[in-house]
Formats: sequence, C-alpha cells, structure tokens
Amino acid sequence: MGRDHTVNRRAFFTTAFLGLTAKADRLITGRIVDDSHLLGHKLRERAKRLSPKRVERISLVIAGGGIAGLSAAWQLDKRGFRDFVLLEMEKQAGGNARWGENEITPFPWAAHYVPLPGKNSTLVRELFEEFGVLRDGVWEERHLCHSPQERLFLHGRWQEGLLPDVAATARDRQQYRRFEHRMAGFRASGEFRIPMETGARRALDLDRLSMAAWMKAEGFDSSYLNWYVDYACRDDYGARASETSAWAGIHYFAAREQEEHGPLTWPEGNGWIVRQLLRKLGRHVRTDSMVDRIGRRGNGFRVLAGDVEYHCDRVLFAAPTFLLPYVLENALAPVGAVEYSPWITANLTLDRPPVERGAPRAWDNVIFNSPSLGYVVATHQSLRTRQDRSVWTWYRPLCDGPPAAGRQMLLVRDWSYWKETILNDLTPAHPDIRSCVSRIDVMRLGHAMVRPRVGFLSARPAPAPRGLFLANSDLSGLSLFEEAQYRGVRAAEKALG
Amino acid sequence: MRGTELLSAALFFSVFLIAACGLIYELVAGALASYLLGDSIFQFSTVIGSYLFAMGIGSYLSRFIRRGLVARFVTIELMVGLVGGFSSTILFLAFSYTHAFRLLLYALVLIVGILVGLEIPLLMRILKDRFPFRDLVAHVLTFDYLGALGASLLFPILLVPRLGLVRSAILFGLLNAGVAFWSTFLFREHIGAPWRLRFSSLIVLAMLGVGMAGAGHITALAEENLFADEIILARSSRYQRIVLTRWKDDLRLYLNSHLQFSSRDEYRYHEALVHPGLAAVDGARRVLILGGGDGLAAREVLRYPNVESVTLVDLDPEMTRLFSEHPLLTKLNGDSLRSPRMRVINDDAFPWLDRSREVFDFAVLDFPDPTNFSLGKLYTTAFYRLLAKHIRRGGFVAVQSTSPLFARQSYWCIVETLKQAGFRTYPYHVYVPSFGEWGFVLAGSTSFEPPSRLPPDLRFLEMATIAPLFHFPADMQPVEAEPNRLNDQVLVRYYEREWGEITR
Repeated sequence: MGRDHTVNRRAFFTTAFLGLTAKADRLITGRIVDDSHLLGHKLRERAKRLSPKRVERISLVIAGGGIAGLSAAWQLDKRGFRDFVLLEMEKQAGGNARWGENEITPFPWAAHYVPLPGKNSTLVRELFEEFGVLRDGVWEERHLCHSPQERLFLHGRWQEGLLPDVAATARDRQQYRRFEHRMAGFRASGEFRIPMETGARRALDLDRLSMAAWMKAEGFDSSYLNWYVDYACRDDYGARASETSAWAGIHYFAAREQEEHGPLTWPEGNGWIVRQLLRKLGRHVRTDSMVDRIGRRGNGFRVLAGDVEYHCDRVLFAAPTFLLPYVLENALAPVGAVEYSPWITANLTLDRPPVERGAPRAWDNVIFNSPSLGYVVATHQSLRTRQDRSVWTWYRPLCDGPPAAGRQMLLVRDWSYWKETILNDLTPAHPDIRSCVSRIDVMRLGHAMVRPRVGFLSARPAPAPRGLFLANSDLSGLSLFEEAQYRGVRAAEKALG
Repeated sequence: MRGTELLSAALFFSVFLIAACGLIYELVAGALASYLLGDSIFQFSTVIGSYLFAMGIGSYLSRFIRRGLVARFVTIELMVGLVGGFSSTILFLAFSYTHAFRLLLYALVLIVGILVGLEIPLLMRILKDRFPFRDLVAHVLTFDYLGALGASLLFPILLVPRLGLVRSAILFGLLNAGVAFWSTFLFREHIGAPWRLRFSSLIVLAMLGVGMAGAGHITALAEENLFADEIILARSSRYQRIVLTRWKDDLRLYLNSHLQFSSRDEYRYHEALVHPGLAAVDGARRVLILGGGDGLAAREVLRYPNVESVTLVDLDPEMTRLFSEHPLLTKLNGDSLRSPRMRVINDDAFPWLDRSREVFDFAVLDFPDPTNFSLGKLYTTAFYRLLAKHIRRGGFVAVQSTSPLFARQSYWCIVETLKQAGFRTYPYHVYVPSFGEWGFVLAGSTSFEPPSRLPPDLRFLEMATIAPLFHFPADMQPVEAEPNRLNDQVLVRYYEREWGEITR
C-alpha cells in the first residue's frame, strides 16, 4: 500500500504543480573520482622523498597491481613461490580493471570484457577453468554476455549489432563482405594471434602504414565501414584509424576466432577477475604503496615505497613501462617513443530507464558518429527480470589531437564540463536522459592504454637491468587483458628462472 | 398558528434535505475514488476528513456574511446544487481524459464542503427570530442528523444500484436547487429582488435536468474510454498494470493488457498444468510454484493432502495481495494464498532460486510468455540447470510453454532448452477456449509414468483424458529449434516472429 501511494502522491503533486516540476532539470550529483595523477606527477617531479621508517627483506617485489602484476603473482603462487609482495599505488588493485560499487550494482571503471579465448589462449583458458567459468570445455552461461549484446544508434533509432545496417547501400554491404573476406584471410595466415608474440613471423609492411591508409589502398571507401573500423581502433587502442598501425587495426579483427556468443563479462567488468585473483592472492597485495624509487643494492635491489624500503633480489615491473625511467636510479634513456592514450570514463546512476526508439537495450550501446564509444550497462548481466535502476559506464578516448593535448584537457576541465558533455552525447538517443540520471562520477585516465602507432612493432624497449623484469601489456603494444596476463606470467617465469 | 406550523415544518424539511444532499456528495466522492483508484479505506477516510474540515472552514466564513442573509443562502444552495450535482460527472470524465483526477477530487470535496459548511449557520441565523434559540438549535441539528441518516441509507440501497453515481449526484443537485427555488418563496419578505434569484434557480434546475437526461451518455463516454467489459478493478503496481474485468459471469485478468485467464475456462489450463505431473510424483510433500501469483495453480496443488508445503514466488506483491484479499478472486482461487500450507514470497524467481538451497518434489513454472529479453531469461538453459538442482530425483517440473499451434517453434525451443539443461522432457498440450491450443512441458530426471489416479472433483481432467494430451497432431509436431541461452536468446526472436504473424 505504501509504495502505491507514493507513486500516486507523486503523480498528484506533479499534476498539481505542472510546469514547475515537469520542465525543471533534476539535480545531478557526482564528482571526479581519481586523484592518482597527483601522485603520478609527484613521481615525475621527484617531489616525494620520504625517508623509509623500516626495512623489509623479501625475495621479490612486483610493482603495479593491474592485470599484469596480478597475473605475475598468480603464476608465482602456482609455482609455489610465496616470498613476494605486490605494491599498488592506488587504494584498490586492478589497474585498468578497477571497479566500483553502489547500492544498485558493481560497475567497471575501464576494461569490461574478455573476448572468448580461442584454443591458442591457453593461459586465459587455464585462469577461467580455475574460476569455474570454463568447465569441461563449456563456458558457464551466466558469465557470457547476455542477449542482446550490442546495438547502434543510427538515424534516430537503435539497431541491433554494431555494423551500420540502417540505410546501408548495396555498395556498403558488398564492402562489408569483402572486408570480412580479407580478415578471414589474415586470420588463416596465423600471423595475428593472441598473445601477439605467439603469431607467425610478422609482415612489417602492414606496420608501415596506418589502418586508414590501408583501407584506402584496399579500396574500402564505404563511410559506414570506415566508421566501424575507426570505432574499433578507438575502442581497443584509444586512437583513430589514421593514428593506428594497420597491423594493429587488422589484429583487432583477425586475431580472434569468429566469436558467436561471447564475450565474457560481469557487472563490474574485468574487476570480477581482479576480485577472484585477490581472493587467492590478496595477502601479497599492499595498496596505497607507490614505488618511488628502485635502486641497486649489491646484486639485488632496494625498492622504496612510502615509508618502507624493501630489500629484494628481483623486481617485476608491471606498472606502465614509461614510468620506469622516473623511478629507476641511474636510469637509461626513457623507453622509445611509446605513446599512451588518455581516456575519460564515467559511471551514470539512473533511477529509471530513459525513453528510446528501436532495438531493446543491449549490453554495449554505441552512438554512430559520436566522439564517445557509448555506454555499457552494468545491470545487463543481472538475473533479475525487472530492474528499473541501473548504472551505465560511458567511455571516451581523447584521440583527436596528440595525447599530451588530451591529458591537458583532462587537467583543466572540471566535473560540470564532463557532466554536460556526457549528457549532450546521450541526449539524441535518450531525449529524457537528464530526468533519469541522479549521479555522474567521472574518472580521468591520463595514460589509459598504450597506442600501437605506425611502426610500433619495430620499437623495442631499452634493455632492463639484470634482475628486473618488465611485465606490462604495453610491451606488446596492445592494451588487452590477454596481453597483460601473458606478459605478467612470462615475467614471473623468467624471474623464477 | 396553523400557517406558522406549516412554515416550520417546511423550514425543517429544507434542513433535512440539504443535510442529505451534503452527505450524498461526500459519499459520491469517496465511492468514486475507491472505485477508480482502489483502496477504499484510504479514499474514504481522506475524503471524509477533508470534507469535514472544509465544512469547518465554511462555518467559520459564515461570520463574514452580514447582510442579505437569505439571498446569500439561496445563492449558496444553487452553487452547491451545481458543483455537487455535477461532481461525479466531472470526476468520471477527469479520470478518463486527464491526469488531474486526484487534484480535482480534493478540490471538489473542499469547494462543496465549504459551501455546505455555510448552509446551517446561515439558516440558523435566518431562523433565529422565529424560534427560541433552545428550540432552534435542537430542531435544526435533529433534522440535520436525520437527513444524514436518510442519505446514508438511501445511497447504497437505492441510489447506487438504481441510479448510479452520476445520476445520484445530479438528483441531489436538483434537490439543492429546488430548496433554493422554494426558499425564494418561503422568505420572500427578506429578499429584495426575488425574481432574479428565481430566474437563476430555474437556470440551474434546467442545467441539472439536462445533465440527468444525458447522464447515460456521459457514463458511457467515460467508461468506454476506460474499459471494454465492466472493470471491477484496475491498478498499476510497480511491475505491471493489473486489470480485472467481468462480463456476465466471466472474470478476466489482464496483465499489461495480456489476458492471463478467463474464469470460464481457467480450470482447463490449471488442471492440465498441475495434475499430470504432480499426481505422478508419489508422496510429493514440497511443491514450488514460480510465477502464478493468481493462486490458481496453487489451488490445484492444494488438492493433494500429502502436499505439506507450497512455496510460491511471484515478483509482484500487489498481485498476491489482490488474490488473497479480493472476495471475487479468493472465491476463484479457493482462498489458496491464505492456506496455512502456503508460503508466499515476493521476489524475482531467478535470483531467488540462485540464493535458495531448498529442494522440492515438484515445481510449476507459470511465467508470462517470453515476450522480451528480460522474461526470456526465465526460459534459458542457465535457469533450467539451476532449477534442476532444486528438484529431487524422481521429481518433476511442469512448464507453461506458450502455444504449440500458434508459436510452434517457440514451443519446441522450450522443449529443446529443457533437454539441453539435462532434463528428460514429456511435452503435452490442452485446448483452452480463451487461449486456443496451449502447451506445457513436463521435465524430470527420471522417466515419466502417467499417474494412476487423480484428485477427486476435477472439472476437466480424468484418467482417460490424460494420455491424449501427450499426443501431438501433425500441425503441432516437433520442429527444429535452437536451445534458448542467456547469451543467445533465440526464443524471444522465435516468439516475436511467430506471434507477430498472427497478431498485428
């Protein structure tokens, strides 16, 4: 009875004060949730120089608690090696797979899915078997992305799937088919694999031009197809097709088997994987522990993190590789000309579903020709049949212009700016979005992912000192879960000898 | 003396009438609000409360009327007659055509209440020189309360059944206007220009007369917009719009305008849903019903004395509340939801089952058809696998599975999905006139032996009619279908296509 009346009472008051309430925008709260760039920049300016209060002796230190660092820990633990700590600068481990949670649902902050791993991705399969996601070769259904998976807002309505279909011409469709045929050829070549190191010898000529240039050279001029390919590059690499190596662009399409019913996803995105890993490895993890300095100490290292100095034999560096020169004493020159894409992500709390036209709400919802990548719905994997409140994670790589300009934008724009940007982005697809959203939290990721630029395959990181092992996914040039895991595990294996 | 006595009688009869009118408007407002919005306790108490409060305002305001008491009294009577008389007309139309029903309801209650509150104080002041104060108070209040008694008896016994709400209000509006007209004669020596007031009275009487004649049209117009059959209940819960209609002895329940049952043939559906499976499970003690908040499947389950507990999980508390409280509905479901053997849980079936550790001997799945991806989750291999963990070995599950005739591939898709989830399946179907051919699937881990006996007093099923249910004629024979999975809900697509071909 109570609920019924609140509804009626509200309807009554709305009617009574029509014009006062109906048009007025509701109050939207929220904030910018990150502050790690402050920490990070302190590091750059070498401003933070705390003297250690105590010394801890340990065999191995992992710097960085993203997927790479956690996977290294996973591998060490599996091999029976327990004398190590993992140091994470943030309050929470996870890196790009960080997640949050409110009264409605857990939600991701960045990485939110893993494509169904093919037969070659043995490590990923092993991990998922351990978590019960893969049993006797069968994927547990509730971890697979539920129907409907993707939709695209195009010409005023939502369509199923991401490849533009509304008003596509015969020429567009012919190019779709030809593109798919070309990708099938690359797939069969065995060159494009995940992890990328396991692929056959790479043809460097594809790395000498951009994806956009390759499309042009191949005669793909359909604006729909070009939008789709550009979307794919922004989605996986945070860069436009014109800034992405054609080899990486093709890798996106050709490295995975034609997945029918994937990907794997969870309400908190890849945070779910982090949670499972932490359940097992949490005792090794120390958060709020930024590595300030790594120096030689005899044959080993001393690692200064906050007020603790770790004396260790080996260091596994799983943080973004570009940070290494800033913390390593007597560092060699900064690693190559590796670029990282700045991103902005936001979590929107919705009190009711907004109006929309066309195909029903999917997990991944993309808006054609928008600078954003659209949004994923955190409650999509819920087993409930009815859920009015939800959290949407909105993504946008800042890929127009050089990364430094994007990072500058992240530093100067305030929360209100992003709130308006996000709501304006969503309004064409959901005209009443402003009256549905009650909260918008924004996260700025200055160095979200490595950018596979033209020529990235030839770039080699400077050799690391003996006893220090690099583990970040940026070594692959591709910021993917599978690469991070592979690099972490490989580094752990090398460290154990 | 005789003339004076007659005049007194006439005056107090006026008091009787206006008191009756005042109460009728209050009853009309309360009844209309309960009828259209439901929850009569809430509607009546708020309407009566605001009405009495408004009368208090009226009584207070009466002190500001100093001169021309009779003329003011006549004017007020005319206003009460007009506003009160048309109150139910206005409210009926407002409910059908605007969203301002509640606003108007309380506004009308306040206006009529204030006007009625002015009447008695004014009348007493008009009469104060004709009677000693002691007699005046006694008589006026006596007739005031008598009028209230008359109205409150007349309203449910004669007025509502014979005239309906619209006409009753107008009739009493006419009485109010009549009192006004009459007063211009009774007190003619106190009125400056009686002709003007008499003319106004005639106009109001004429308007109400026209309203009375056209009342049939007005109600028809309003109700036509509301419902096809007679609606005995329309309610929006948080999850759905629940509408119950009655046409002669046929009760029909619609959820979001989808027919759920017709009382004329629902026994066919529910007997077929429950008995072939449950009668075949020896000594079933614990039964689970998912969906089925109408308590009709529960009614069939409770026929088995060996069943000790029935757990019913339905999302919508409004639905289970309605079917445990509304007299027509509890009569239909045999008051099953209030049986001591029943446990009613309002929750979403999938997450509830995911958390539960209970094991049952028999389960009934009576969900709405898979019209969208949300409901489709309740027909997936993931859901059925989870369900299987809650059914003991030798137990069975009966699943309502849409029509194998109109949605043939959808039906066989549900069968295939149950098979993929590890069940052995036994499909069957029944003819339900208001639905057409309807399909069910029995699923279990063991082989199914048809029951050897049925509960007594069934209206449709008998031993001889069970075997034919499992026979599918040529036009309902199995067709190829993919299983329905969370990550690939083919069933929703099949269903959309198949029902789309029939209904447009």
